[in-house]
Amino acid sequence: MSPMLRLLLRVLSLWRSRRGWLLGGVVIAALAALAGVAMLALAGRGVSEGLRHSALTAGAVGSLLLLRPLILLRPVARYLERLATHSATFRALADTRLWFFRRLAERLPAGLGLRGAGDLLGRIVTDVEALDGLYLRALVPGAAAVAVVLAVAVLLGAAGPGLAAVVALPLAAALLLPPLLAPGAGRAAARVAEAQGQLRAAAVDPLLGLEDMLAANGEARATERLMQAGDLLARKQKSLARRAAWGGASGLGLSQAALLGALGYGLAGGEGAVAGSVLGLFLALAAAEVLAALPRAGTALASASAGAQRLFEAADTPPPVAEPAEPAPPPASHAIRIEGLRFAWAPDRAPVFDGLDLDLPEGGRLALLGPSGAGKSTLGSLLLKLAAPQEGRITLGGMDIATLSGAAVRQRIACLTQDARLFDDSIAANLRLAAPEAGDEALWQALERAGVAEVVRALPDGLNTRCGEGGARFSGGQGRRIALARALLSPAPVLILDEPATGLDPVAERAFLETLESATQGRSVILIAHRLLGVERPTRILRLIGGRAIPAMG
Amino acid sequence: MSQPLPAEAARARALLSATARQGRGRMARPVLLGLASIACGLAQAWFMAHLLATLLGHGDSGWAEMGAAAALALLGIALGVAQEHAQADAGAAARAGLRRRAFARLLALGPADPRPAGERAALVVDRIEALDGYFARWLPAAILAAAGPLLIALAVASEDPLSGVILFAAGAMVPVGMALTGIGAALASRRQFDALQALSGRFLDRMRGLPQIVLFGRQESEAQALGAAADELRTRTMRVLRVAFLSGLSLEVIAAAVLGCLAWRHGHLLVGGHPDPQAALFCLLMVPGFFAPLRAFSAAYHERMSAHGAAAALAPLLEGEEADEAGLLLAEIPPSVVVTFEHVSLTYDPSRGPALRDLSFRALPGEALVLAGPSGAGKSSVLRLLMGFNRPDGGRIAFNGRDATSLRPSELRRLSAYVGQKAHLFRDTIRNNIALARPDATEAEILAAARAAHVTDFSDKLPGGLDTMVGEGGYGLSGGQAQRVAMARAFLRNAPLVLLDEPTAHLDPGTEAELLESLRRLCAGRTAIIATHSSALRARFTRVLEMADGRANPARMAGE
Repeated sequence: MSPMLRLLLRVLSLWRSRRGWLLGGVVIAALAALAGVAMLALAGRGVSEGLRHSALTAGAVGSLLLLRPLILLRPVARYLERLATHSATFRALADTRLWFFRRLAERLPAGLGLRGAGDLLGRIVTDVEALDGLYLRALVPGAAAVAVVLAVAVLLGAAGPGLAAVVALPLAAALLLPPLLAPGAGRAAARVAEAQGQLRAAAVDPLLGLEDMLAANGEARATERLMQAGDLLARKQKSLARRAAWGGASGLGLSQAALLGALGYGLAGGEGAVAGSVLGLFLALAAAEVLAALPRAGTALASASAGAQRLFEAADTPPPVAEPAEPAPPPASHAIRIEGLRFAWAPDRAPVFDGLDLDLPEGGRLALLGPSGAGKSTLGSLLLKLAAPQEGRITLGGMDIATLSGAAVRQRIACLTQDARLFDDSIAANLRLAAPEAGDEALWQALERAGVAEVVRALPDGLNTRCGEGGARFSGGQGRRIALARALLSPAPVLILDEPATGLDPVAERAFLETLESATQGRSVILIAHRLLGVERPTRILRLIGGRAIPAMG
Repeated sequence: MSQPLPAEAARARALLSATARQGRGRMARPVLLGLASIACGLAQAWFMAHLLATLLGHGDSGWAEMGAAAALALLGIALGVAQEHAQADAGAAARAGLRRRAFARLLALGPADPRPAGERAALVVDRIEALDGYFARWLPAAILAAAGPLLIALAVASEDPLSGVILFAAGAMVPVGMALTGIGAALASRRQFDALQALSGRFLDRMRGLPQIVLFGRQESEAQALGAAADELRTRTMRVLRVAFLSGLSLEVIAAAVLGCLAWRHGHLLVGGHPDPQAALFCLLMVPGFFAPLRAFSAAYHERMSAHGAAAALAPLLEGEEADEAGLLLAEIPPSVVVTFEHVSLTYDPSRGPALRDLSFRALPGEALVLAGPSGAGKSSVLRLLMGFNRPDGGRIAFNGRDATSLRPSELRRLSAYVGQKAHLFRDTIRNNIALARPDATEAEILAAARAAHVTDFSDKLPGGLDTMVGEGGYGLSGGQAQRVAMARAFLRNAPLVLLDEPTAHLDPGTEAELLESLRRLCAGRTAIIATHSSALRARFTRVLEMADGRANPARMAGE
């Protein structure tokens, strides 16, 4: 089985539960196409009989009378087809989105956006949406075309096998175009995608290092690189478009061949062949309209399978930390102990931790200091089971967290990560992510502790203010404080605060850290920072140096 | 993407039509080729009508006409392919022009633009790409939808006037039908477009924040909420589509009615024997061709809609274009620079108050001026002004006594070597990252700069030496190593003015000490201005300007 076919079959298997809707759409599409064939077949009969006898005969009148209902049937069937196929697509895509969301939540809980530049995630989300092409632009027109070609072959076969051969064979050949064109189109589309990636890099690179680039007077060079990448992309797109154009041309050529074949059959066959020839001509006309959509189906198949490949590649990433087959019952207490921890992000990279020991009793407040890159945030990932240590162990309430389910660990340990993100939803909904049952009062209290209640109170919509995508509605500091409020609201007995004061001005930073003790209300706290202000009053201070934790003074 | 406001929509339209006007020559080609292909179809239909009539016992066409029809079919197909090529060219040319303009604007706005790099890059990549369909498909389709049917109706009228009138009437009915069925249709499909965008936006938003959702254990409830949102949107969208698809239905009904009318017209003539069966068949054969450009137009309609969204995002960016060309050019780079600030003030955002107020100082060649003070005191703002990233709101900045703000910002930057808080390494070799500062530098000069900044201390231990790839996806340099590469850039640049913004901020004390030595040598003989928190760095230089709250603190001005 070709890899493309395998990918597309896997997509279809995701859509299994929507079988009824999807098949219904295909059937209506085939009926609409057949109505068009029937209409032109009747018209052909009417015309040929009328003209041959130079007067309206009973047969011609009958044909024309039958035409009338068909004339309306076809547009109505087309209308229903569009409604049914779109409704089916929406359902199928909704299923795919949810499948992908659940799958990633399970396998890539640390997120996908962190891998490499460019917006891989954004692209995959677009890929999911683009899967509609598989159904709307390939399967539906393909099924309609097959129905039409079969109908033409049967109708003409009755008139004469020779006629059926000259008309139906080119049409049947057109059916082969999508699978024939798809692999080439797929390769061309892959080259387009690659050129697109280069263009994005040529745009993102100089903008990321904008100060350095401008300082070097590099504007002209950056522009040149961008324009060259744009040119390359245009060339690759053109070669893809050329394939599509030639695909379309060959489809058109085949239906023209059928048309001229029908005429030639009449010319060569003399008087006896005329009726069949005219019928063949009109049927070829009817088929041409349906088959015109086919060559594009090849491109649709190619882009759907390319999208499916990226989708499944991300979805099939093995989870970073395998869940235990039979999770142990969650521990009663939540003291944390780390023994002999060794961890490197990749085998060929220097270990972040090498023999780390650490102890955090219930209700303890640990400050973890160190320069950037010392692994402070990595420790959070390990505690939350987003990564697994290569050696040593971490225990929670005396139980190795490797034996606990990820969900059980994360129920006990809440974390304000450095990249904590706000969702495009209300402030209240963003906060309730941490505690779904929390009342407004609890929300205000958390906002108060995070030092952002004033800001929210001043908003006309208060707690119902939408945060915008990634918290775009707020300044960086305000967004950070709302994320902090969310972490404080969580009922988890252990709280990891990774640089909680980022984005707070010095006065607010001091004020927040002074109240840390009361804000965290006797929970265990791990405060990650690169320096202390001296107001935090931690029960222990450790400094991360060379992969180990060394007791330190603030 | 939400619905653009009326003013935004007008600006988007203006941008699209101005771009189309500029590329008129290129845009005309696909239209002309399309018309030629329609003419080809007409001629082919004429031959086919004669052939068909012959078959039915009228006339004496034969294999010659058959050959002509086949040749015309091939020609028509070739013209169609040529039209697609011409369309792709027109789209590519329009995109290239807009991309150049948009990128130039982003560079001119510089670091003062608060949007994240990814968002700005999307303007020159995704937004511009989204315009392709407008120029490559929608514009030609819109013109051909008017010109094509007109051409066909005229040709049909010349054969049989009444049939021509029927086609004219149908052509006139199409816009009426579309307007009637979709008084709401355009509006409806716009709402549908917005609704679908909103759904995929929500999905993307939740996917981006997936780690947060998992950390709070809310993945299942979020999945269910997403599913419910999709269901609700589907019901709403389908309600809208039921109306929107009516315009397609109206086109089909009109097409069917035309076929019916022509069948009636010619069938009626048949009763007494048709006087001109060739003309009758020609008229009938042209019906599908008559509606083809109209169908292509409806199919390309969504291109227009997505292009409008993209153009609405681009139009505000492109508006300040003219101002970018303003400013004087430097005749030559002076060997030394005296920097004077006189009563300079700067406000980024009125709600946040001024960043600099009434700041005056002078920095002379051969001396290093350290700007000290808490964060938010305005140290970086001084450097941003000197780099031309921002313009002062009041006061005067002079280089060697001449007003510096009259220079174009890029010219201003030619005078300086700048090292920021966190050097950005581009995805390239270490050597090219250094050479960025002066692309025409020789090998020896690059090597000398790398030595002076102690880059060679670590690069010699790397497998590829200076040719090791760094930056994204390359070898990861530590913060201190990256800072040394930036320092090497400054050495190579060899400019009279050295501007350093917290050059040691993210370094541990050991690395800082190593860098300080290079730093001293870099500043020697040049005018240097250094913003810093670091007491170690301050201790190395004698002249310190204490800043607080956007002002110089004269009581603590040392060294004057």
